[in-house]
Amino acid sequence: MKPIIEFVDVYYRYPGQPRFALQGFSVQVPAGEKIAVIGRNGSGKSTFFLHCNGLYRPQAGAVFYDGKPLDYSRAGLQTLRRHVGICFQNPDDQLFSASVAQDISFGPLNLGLKDSEARRRVEQAAEFCDVTGLLDRPTHALSGGEKARVALAGVLAMDPDVIIVDELMSTLDPWVRLHIIAIFERLHRHGKTLMLATHDLTVVESWATYVIVMAAGRTLFAGSPATLLSDAALLHETGLEHVWSRAGEWTAVSL
Amino acid sequence: MQVIDRYAYSNRIRQVDPAYKAALSVAVLLLCLVLNEPLVGLAAAAGMWLLAVGVAGLPGRTFGQMLFAEAFFLTLVTAGVAVSIGFGAPGDAGRYALRLGPVWLSSGPESLSLAARLVTRALGGAAAMNFLAMTTPLVDLIDLFRRLGLPAALIDVMALTYRFIFILMDSLDRMYVAQNSRLGYRSWRRALASAGQLAARLFIDAYQRSERLQTALDSRAYQGELRVLPAAYQRDDALLWCGFLVIVGLLVVWSAL
Repeated sequence: MKPIIEFVDVYYRYPGQPRFALQGFSVQVPAGEKIAVIGRNGSGKSTFFLHCNGLYRPQAGAVFYDGKPLDYSRAGLQTLRRHVGICFQNPDDQLFSASVAQDISFGPLNLGLKDSEARRRVEQAAEFCDVTGLLDRPTHALSGGEKARVALAGVLAMDPDVIIVDELMSTLDPWVRLHIIAIFERLHRHGKTLMLATHDLTVVESWATYVIVMAAGRTLFAGSPATLLSDAALLHETGLEHVWSRAGEWTAVSL
Repeated sequence: MQVIDRYAYSNRIRQVDPAYKAALSVAVLLLCLVLNEPLVGLAAAAGMWLLAVGVAGLPGRTFGQMLFAEAFFLTLVTAGVAVSIGFGAPGDAGRYALRLGPVWLSSGPESLSLAARLVTRALGGAAAMNFLAMTTPLVDLIDLFRRLGLPAALIDVMALTYRFIFILMDSLDRMYVAQNSRLGYRSWRRALASAGQLAARLFIDAYQRSERLQTALDSRAYQGELRVLPAAYQRDDALLWCGFLVIVGLLVVWSAL
């Protein structure tokens, strides 16, 4: 297994917060896999993701991309962000332009591409995410599912090698989710590394080829979903056992 | 505002280069201002109505209603010009006067014609701007400003403001419903308190959103300027000819006076 992204003993605390969001977080993200990142709210998933393309900088420890430590210079970040794209939890936080086509064109133009090439990228990404028919629509007139796909297209237009999606799915209906999973499948076949934060355990079971379980800013488990699911002791340790095996026993889950 | 936005996206000349639409509207506006004749103003309003309905395919009723609303406001504002208020009777003959206790309201042919001139002139210009607003999405106008070489910072602020209006309206709407469902607007006092809390919360919401937006933009390699592709437009000869006719029509009305 060749890690494309690697975290070594990373610490990060948000200003004014008593607790570390990441405390001694180490993980290896395997290249070309479909990775599910699970963990309860506040376990550090988003903070992990925001470190992956240098949006946050570790307060201790180090992050590596393709074997090299991240270069936090302007040029270094520019290169890194071409390789690692993040699609955020709420599409409204990401879609800044009132025009769908113009929003998707933002990333490619930031990469310094010519207008003609950027236009080609926009069309390609739009087709990939099935939003070609929306290009001419105003952003504020789109539905939640449409916004999610447009936000994804905006990331894909930069042609990143690693695509990180932060719980984009949690508010979407099952049909839209399936649609997005289908897009992920195609990306996977194109050799991309996909990393998806989710609370949807069927995604872990049926889609993921690798799973990372986070708790309190640390890695509890990283490996194949089969290993996680078949190991009772491990399930117990991660606390997932309660959620998975005791359906109907409402008292089992401690809040 | 959302009505205007909807028409701006769904009218027949939506795809036409905003430069044509803006040039036409600005030309009509300038003619109204420069020629300064009540009939020219009225003709401009009529001409823009015809263009909006005939060429852009907007509903005549809606366009007309907007004009009427504007005419109403213009009349209110120019009332001060038409009617003068004073203590003591107006001296000159030929003025209409009305006494209300110690106060005299008076008017005369000159002040009435001045008011009419102001109302019609402004109405013609407003019709021209309505036409532009209802046929051209703001995105296209911002695009036009960019082409005209307005500073990038100004353009970016415009683009973000426009996008954020809808996001914040959405937030406002949801917060209001949530407060209302907990009886936050049960009495006048509660309503006032709730509205205050909502406003405070909305500021915080806007601030947090702007931070998340910054992160998302950075993630897409933002370098200080919101560069986007210019839209592709069509030309529309019907609009050009009809617009030309309206402008010629205004000049004909003016020369016939």
